[in-house]
Amino acid sequence: MPELLPPDDPVTSRPMAGLVLISVFLLMLTVAWSLYNEFFGLRPWRTYQNEFSKVYSKYLDDQYQGRKAAEQKFFATPEYQKLLADVKTATDSARSMDQQISQQMDLLDRQRAAMTEAFQTSRGKVGALTYQLEQIDEKDTSAKKSKLDELNAAKAETYDVMWPVEGNKIEPRKFIYQQLNDLFTSIMTSKAKLVAQRGDLDKPAKDAQDTLNDYVKEQLPGLASKDLYTLSDSMKNLDIRLRQINVNPSGTSINNLGGAGLVDRCQSCHLGTDPLLVPVTMTLTKADLGMAKDNDAPYTSHPDPDMMKSHPLEKFGCSPCHGGNGRALDTVEKGHGRYEHWLWPLYYPENFEAGCQQCHASDMVTEHAPVLNKAKQLYREKGCIGCHRFEGFDNQDEQLVSAQQAITQLENQKVDDRLQIAQLNKKGDAATDNATANNYYAEATNLTVTMSGIDAKVDSLDQRSHNLLQEIKKVGPDLKEVRMKIHKEWIPYWIGHTRDFRPTTKMPQFRLQDDEIQAISAYLWQSAITGPEPPKQTPGDAVHGKVLFEERGCEACHSIGEGANMLGGDFAANLSRVGEKDNYDYLVRWILNPRTRTRPYSPFEKRDLGPEDYAKHDLPFVFDLDHSKSPDDGHELMVQQPTVMPSLRLTLDDARDIASFLETQKHADASYASADFMDDPKLKQHGKELIQHYGCAGCHEISGLEDEGRIGTELTNEGSKPIERLDFALYTEDAKLGVLPDGSKSPRGAWYDLKGFFENKLTDPAVFDHGKYKPDPIDRLRMPKPNVTKEDIDALTTFLLGSTDPSLPAEYMYKPADQRAAIQKGWWIITKYNCIGCHQVDIGQKSVLMGLPQFQGENKQNLPPVLTSEGARVSPEWLKGFLANPALSTTDVNRDGVRSYLQVRMPTFFLSDDEIRALVLFFEAMSSQPQPFIPQKLTPLTTAEKEMARQLFTSTSAPCLKCHATGDPAHDKTAIAPNFLFAKDRLQPAWTERWITNPALIAPGTAMPSGLFKRDGDKWVFSGPLPPSFKGYTGDQADLLVRYMFELTPEEQRSLLGRTPSGGGAGK
Amino acid sequence: MKNSKFGMSLLATGLFALALVGCGGSKTDTSSETPAPAANAPAGKSVDPATAGEVTGTVKLDGAAPKMKNISMAAEPSCAKEHTTPPASEEVITGDGGTLANAVVYVKSGLDGYSFPAPSAPAKIEQKGCQYHPHVVAMEVGQNIDVVNDDQTTHNIHPIPTVNREWNESQPPGAAPIEKNFAREEIAIPVKCNVHPWMKAYMAVLSNPYFQVTDKDGKFDLKNLPPGTYTVVAWQELYGTSDPQTITIGPKETKNVTFTFKASAAAGD
Repeated sequence: MPELLPPDDPVTSRPMAGLVLISVFLLMLTVAWSLYNEFFGLRPWRTYQNEFSKVYSKYLDDQYQGRKAAEQKFFATPEYQKLLADVKTATDSARSMDQQISQQMDLLDRQRAAMTEAFQTSRGKVGALTYQLEQIDEKDTSAKKSKLDELNAAKAETYDVMWPVEGNKIEPRKFIYQQLNDLFTSIMTSKAKLVAQRGDLDKPAKDAQDTLNDYVKEQLPGLASKDLYTLSDSMKNLDIRLRQINVNPSGTSINNLGGAGLVDRCQSCHLGTDPLLVPVTMTLTKADLGMAKDNDAPYTSHPDPDMMKSHPLEKFGCSPCHGGNGRALDTVEKGHGRYEHWLWPLYYPENFEAGCQQCHASDMVTEHAPVLNKAKQLYREKGCIGCHRFEGFDNQDEQLVSAQQAITQLENQKVDDRLQIAQLNKKGDAATDNATANNYYAEATNLTVTMSGIDAKVDSLDQRSHNLLQEIKKVGPDLKEVRMKIHKEWIPYWIGHTRDFRPTTKMPQFRLQDDEIQAISAYLWQSAITGPEPPKQTPGDAVHGKVLFEERGCEACHSIGEGANMLGGDFAANLSRVGEKDNYDYLVRWILNPRTRTRPYSPFEKRDLGPEDYAKHDLPFVFDLDHSKSPDDGHELMVQQPTVMPSLRLTLDDARDIASFLETQKHADASYASADFMDDPKLKQHGKELIQHYGCAGCHEISGLEDEGRIGTELTNEGSKPIERLDFALYTEDAKLGVLPDGSKSPRGAWYDLKGFFENKLTDPAVFDHGKYKPDPIDRLRMPKPNVTKEDIDALTTFLLGSTDPSLPAEYMYKPADQRAAIQKGWWIITKYNCIGCHQVDIGQKSVLMGLPQFQGENKQNLPPVLTSEGARVSPEWLKGFLANPALSTTDVNRDGVRSYLQVRMPTFFLSDDEIRALVLFFEAMSSQPQPFIPQKLTPLTTAEKEMARQLFTSTSAPCLKCHATGDPAHDKTAIAPNFLFAKDRLQPAWTERWITNPALIAPGTAMPSGLFKRDGDKWVFSGPLPPSFKGYTGDQADLLVRYMFELTPEEQRSLLGRTPSGGGAGK
Repeated sequence: MKNSKFGMSLLATGLFALALVGCGGSKTDTSSETPAPAANAPAGKSVDPATAGEVTGTVKLDGAAPKMKNISMAAEPSCAKEHTTPPASEEVITGDGGTLANAVVYVKSGLDGYSFPAPSAPAKIEQKGCQYHPHVVAMEVGQNIDVVNDDQTTHNIHPIPTVNREWNESQPPGAAPIEKNFAREEIAIPVKCNVHPWMKAYMAVLSNPYFQVTDKDGKFDLKNLPPGTYTVVAWQELYGTSDPQTITIGPKETKNVTFTFKASAAAGD
C-alpha cells in the first residue's frame, strides 16, 4: 500500500538558493540604479557643486600664488618696511614710556595704601570734632573754646607712616592731618594725569598702524593670501548640500509662488552668488573660472554687488526678481521655470530688468536699470502713451476731462439750484402763514449759500485746469495749424512715407490705403484753422542762423544732418528736411515761441475761440498764461501749443536767421505731387472717421477730436495677461513649435509666451493678421509699426514683461515716503522736458551737448552748468524764480539770467506751479537738503574785515574779478563766470565755501581753478600773497570771502571796480 | 512620485554609503601644482649706443604763414608792462625759408619691445609776461613737468586732455612750481589759463624719448635710435598731424627727412 506521503515540503524539498540569488541580484541592481539616480539623475546640482568646488578652488589657488608672490615683493619694499618700522618705533617708545608710567602709578598706589589708615583716622577725628564744635551753642564760649583746643590738638597730632619712595624703598615719615589731606589730593591728581598720559601715549602707535593698514589696502587691494588660502581650502572640502533661501514676508505670497512664503534653491547650482562662498569684495566671472562658453555653468558672483546692498538675498531671494521656479531642482528647465505649467519663467538676459519693474513701476528712472529706463523713455517719446494708457505716465488729459466734467456737473447743479431757489421763494411768497413762508425762505437761503460753495469748487477746478492745460503735452505737433504751417502737398506724402522722409521719426507707420491717406489729409486740411495768420517775415541770415542753431543748444533735443552726418539729440525731430515742408512765416513764429497758439481752445465750449468771440465782449484778442480765462464763461482756456519745446527768448532777428537756416535744409530735387483732393468736402467725413479709428488724436491735437480718448489697450498690467488672451492667430502652432513668422527657427525654441508675443508684435504689429481674410481695411489690426530698433524692442518687451499685477506684498513696492519720493516724482518732469539733453543732473550721466563737436576740448567751458549739486548750491526760493523766468528779468530776456556770457541758452519752459514745485523738491532731495529750507545765518563782517576782503578781491593775486562778470559791459565781454551779486539770493554759503576751496570736487573740468586756498590747521587761508591788512588775522579766509560775497551790493561792486589793485605781494 | 524615488534612493544611499566611504571615497587631491611666480613684465630691450643711428630733418610750411594777431594784455597791466611791443599770438611761427617752429616730431611706431623709463629730470613750462615758455612742451609718459609762475599775477593752469586726467590749479605769484605728470600718451593737450584767455600752450606726452619740439629753424634730431624701421610723424597745433613717414635706419646710420605742412590746410581749430 502506498505510503501517504505529505505534499512536497518546500522547505525541505526545494532549495531557495536560486530565488535568493535572483532577489539579491535584483536588490543590487535597484541599489545601483538608485545610487546612479541619486548622484547623476535626481540631483544635477551635486554635479554642479562638485564642478564648482573644482574650478573655484583652482581659481583661488592661482590667486593665492599670485597674491603671495605680490605680498612677498611688497613686504620687501622700502616704503612698506619704513611704515612697519614706524609702527615698531611708535609701539616701542610707547612701551618704554608705558613702563615708566606704570611704575609711577604703582608708586602712587602704594603711597596711597600706606597713608590710607592714618588719613582715615585723622580725617575721622577732625571731622567729628568739627561737627561737635558746630553743635555747641554760640553763647557757650567756654565749651566752644575747649572743643576748639581739642580740634587743634587733633589737627596737630602726628601719624607714623611707612612711606614708599622711588627705588622700592620705604622711609618712616611723620605727617599731620593737613599734610595727609594735601598728599591725598596730590596723589589723586597725579594719577588722573598719568591715566590721560597713557591714553595719549598709544595714539602715535595707533596712527602709525592705521597709516600702514591704509597703505597696504591701497597698494594691495583685495583678499590677503592667508584669506585666499583658507577659502580655497574650504572650497576643496565644500559641503555638497542643498542651499536654499527662505523668505517669509508677512501677508501675501511673493510672486505667486505659493502661500508659504518663498523658497529659492537657486544657489544650489549658482554657488557664486552665495557671499559665504564668494566674498562680496570679490567678483567672479566666467572667464575667471576658465568657463567662457555660453552653456558653461554660471558660477559667477552677482554682477551688480552695489544693487545687492539694497536688495539683500534674505529679503528678496532670487526668483521674485528673476522669475523661475525657485523650488525646483530636477532639471535646469524646471528650475528656470521654462515649462508649460509655470507662469513665471526666468527672464531671458535681455529682459532681466523686467524684475525691477514689478516693484519700480512708479519710477521714471530707476537706478541700476538702464534698459528699463530706456523703455519708459521710449514709451513716452515714441508715443505709445498716445494710444495705450499706463498708470503713472502722463495723464493730464484724462485729469482735465474729469475736471471739465466736474465743472459741467457743478454748473448744471447751479442752474438747478437757481431754479429751485426761485420756486422756493415763490412758494414762500404764496404761503398761507408766516411760519410756512419762513421755512421756504430759509430753505432758499441755505441753497443760496450752498451755491456759493459750488462757486468755490468751480474756482479751484479752474485753477487745477489752468495747471493741467499747461502740463498737457502731445507727442506729435498740433494739426489744427497745418494749413498755416505746412506745405499742402507734403501732408499726404508724409502720412504714407514717414520713415522714407525722416528715418529717425518717432511717428509710427500706419498701414493705410491711398484712399485712406487722401481722406485723412482732406479732413486735416479742411478742419484746420485758417487764421489769424502769423505775421509776414522778411528773410533772415541763414549763415548766422546756423551759428545760432549750434550755439544756443538746439541740438540738445534736435538732430540735424542725415545718415552718418547726423548730429544732436533724438528727443525731438531731425530737422534735415524741414525746408521741404514748413512755411517760413510760421516757422519764425514757432522758433520765437513754440507755445504761441493761433486761437485759444476752450475745453468747456469744445471749440477754438477767435477775435470775434473776444470782440463780442469788447475785449482785445489777447490770450496767454496771464490771460487764460474765456471771455465767454470765465473758464480756463488752452492758451499754449501742447508741445514740450520751450521758448529760447530769441530776438525776432535771431528767430528769422534760424528759420532761414532751417529753410535751407532740404533735398534739392524734392518735389511733391499736387493734392487737390484735400479740398474735396466729400472726403472730410470719412477722413474724420479714419482719424478716430486709427487714434491719431492720441498724439496730435486735431480740430473736432480734442476729447478723443486713447484707443489702445491699457498696458499697466500687461505682463500678467494670461497667454490665452493674446491672439497669436495663425501663428499659434508655429509659436509652440518654435518657428518664427519669417519661417526661421526661433533661437530659444517655442515662443508661445508673452515675450514672444510682445517681440513679434513690436517688430511687426500686423503680423498676427497674417493669413486672415479681411477685405475691409478697417477690420485689420490697426496698431502702426513703431520706428524702433532691436534694442528698443528688447527694452519695451522688458518693460511690458515686468508690468504685472502687483502680486507682491506692499512693502516690496518702491513707494518711498521720504525725500526719495521727491526724486521719483522729479524724474518724470526732468525727462519730460529733456533737462538731461543740456545738463548733467545725475552723477555720471552725460548730456547730449557734452558729445557735440562744438563743446569739446577747451570749449567745454561753454557747456551749461552741471546740476549734480544744485540743491546744495542754490536757495530753493531763488530756484523757483529762476525756473519760472530763467532770464531773471521781464525786460532784458535775450540772455541767460545767471550766466549771461554763455551762448547756450536756458530756455523758458512755462512750467506749471506744480512742476516748479516738484523740480525744486527734486533738486533739494538729490542733495539731501533738509525741508523746509531755512537760510544759513552768516556773521556780519566787521569794518576791518570788510576792508580786508575788498583788498583781497582786488589784489593781483586773487583773480576773481577777471573771470566773474561785474556788470561792466566792457569787462563782461570776456567774463566766463557769474556775477558775485547773485550770490546773496542765489547761493548757499556752505556750498560756496566748498566751491571756492575745491571746485574740481564738485564739477570736474570746471574753468574755476583749484588751489586758491590751502588748509592751515582747521582753517582755509589764501594761497597767494596777502594784502598787508591780513597781518595777524586769525579767521578763516575762505569764510571771510564768502561772507563778503553775501554782503556785496551793486554800489560796493562798483567801488571795487574803481580801485587800483592793491599790490598783493606787499604784505609778505 | 518624486518622493518615492527620493525615499528609495535614500535607503540605498544609507545601505551603501558606509561601504563606499570605507573603500576610500577616492577624493581627488585638487591642489594644483605651483604655477610660475607672477613675474613682472620683463624689462624691455635697451638701446645699444654702439649701433644707434639718428633721424634728422626739418619741418617746413609750404605757403605764406597766416598773420598772427597781436595780443592785448590791457586786462593785466603787470604783464603788459613786461612787453615793450604787444606780443603776437603764437599759433604759427616760421623762420627763414618757411621753417616751422613749435612742431612736435616724434617716433610714432617701430619701438615695440623696448622700454623707456621716464627721465628723472622734469620738463618745464614757465608763465612769463602772461605767455607760456615754451609754447609747446613735450615730455614722456610719467615724466614730471614743473609749471613755474614768474609773473606778478595769479595764473591758473588748466590742461584739457582727452585721454589723460584733467586738472586745473591756480598758482599765485611767488608760489612754488606745480609738479605734475601725465600717465598716457597724448599729442597734444591744450593748456590754457582761464584768467588770461589769450594764454595758450600745448603739452605733448609721448611714450618714448624720440621726440623734439622744433625751434624757428624747424630742425629736429632724434638721436640714439636703434636700427629699425620707424613711423615718424610731425604735429603742429594749427596744421594737425602730418602724413606719417616710414624710415628705416641701419646701424650708425643717419637719415634725413622733411615734413611739409600746407599753409592752406589749416584746420582752423
